[in-house]
Amino acid sequence: MSPTVLQRMASGDPAAVRECMDRYGGLVWSLARRLSRTASDAEDAAQEIFLDIWRSAARYDASRGSDKVFIATIARRRLIDRMRKRSGEPPMEPPEALESIAWSDPASLPDTAIDAAHAARALGELRPEQRQVLELGLMHGFSQSEIASRLSMPLGTVKSLMRRGLLRVRELMNIKIEGAAGRADG
Amino acid sequence: MAETGPQKQPDEAMLDLLIKQVTDGLSPEEQRELDVLDNEVASAYARDLEHAAAAISVAGTGEPPPMPAALRARIEAQLQAAAAPSNTVRAIGTAPQRTRTRSTAGWWAAAACLVLAVVGWLRSPPVQGPGVEPTLAQQREALLASPGAQQIQLAATAEPAAAGAKVDVVWDPRSQRGFVRFVGLKPNDPSQHQYQLWIFDGDRDQRYPVDGGVFNVPPNADQVLVPIRAQLPVHAAKAFAVTIEQPGGVVVSGREHVVAIGKVS
Repeated sequence: MSPTVLQRMASGDPAAVRECMDRYGGLVWSLARRLSRTASDAEDAAQEIFLDIWRSAARYDASRGSDKVFIATIARRRLIDRMRKRSGEPPMEPPEALESIAWSDPASLPDTAIDAAHAARALGELRPEQRQVLELGLMHGFSQSEIASRLSMPLGTVKSLMRRGLLRVRELMNIKIEGAAGRADG
Repeated sequence: MAETGPQKQPDEAMLDLLIKQVTDGLSPEEQRELDVLDNEVASAYARDLEHAAAAISVAGTGEPPPMPAALRARIEAQLQAAAAPSNTVRAIGTAPQRTRTRSTAGWWAAAACLVLAVVGWLRSPPVQGPGVEPTLAQQREALLASPGAQQIQLAATAEPAAAGAKVDVVWDPRSQRGFVRFVGLKPNDPSQHQYQLWIFDGDRDQRYPVDGGVFNVPPNADQVLVPIRAQLPVHAAKAFAVTIEQPGGVVVSGREHVVAIGKVS
């Protein structure tokens, strides 16, 4: 099997840097824009994320998940760290300005992002309020307290919806991955 | 991917912390709270939940818009520069030599050399033609003379490698360039360990100072000058430190072997 772009980047292949930008630039930029207060903040974040990707590329293991989810994991870690540091600052945008999320059709996601396809299917099986809370937290970067205030819900309810929703996604993803592996084996 | 075998179940308090870790991040108090809980269960769940959260993020991103071209060019240049070999070290007084670098150092390095050559030529007495690369000492002097540049003395610690060492830094926040100068720092065996410079940025988490590059001290070098290569923009340098790390350096230092540290006044 030929090495992945991340493996080539880890081994110092200069062409892999450009390919990495081609492949993941949009994803990183999209996540950075959503979870940063300003465009300039998002630019700084994207810069830091790509350095993190470069440093972590050697750790990518295709058997543990798709490269896109690996990249999103690195990006989210950095963005959450940045959000925490700015937690005392005013909200990043007026609540009315929320951009709607265009959830991918699981069938349209490439085989190379199979875990994201499982997640998209799993989300479709959640209760609407669990899905809403996850969308606000994961896609718009609202803290649990901000979600509680936005939805006029007790914080405990938000925590509970988020806990059950994310555990359910995790559970459904594992079942589906196990099932897919079983089919492949059989 | 997640383990699918029987797994010990975390309690609700642990789950709340784990969920908050992958959505909001934890405060230092919450992190300490999580650290004392069952580590094995916590880390297995943390990995799964983080994976699920990232997979949801990818699914919710759809067809992402491209990154702005200027930003992309900047990041690409930064990555190419980061992929270049570690900093070159020259003992003061030796003749400047052209260092062999991979072409991946890219136009950043070329542009920096060009600027340095021009600045050095303009500021120095006419002892050399514009085609001759200024020595690191000349570059340092030119940088020190520029408005806003700071000179910081670092104090050597009790680390044996630092015994009797004198260390100072010249840093220009505007150009994000600098030099660190060592006198009497113990030579290192690059196959065993390397020195690494760190910059504490007032705008960043102090647990994660900015990597300023790894370097070696060759034997028989009384003085050593190293150009600083900050891997991230430094908004407000508050302190500089030098540690001993594994060959190639580390992303986050355990700070077991700090050889010198100094605050910006």
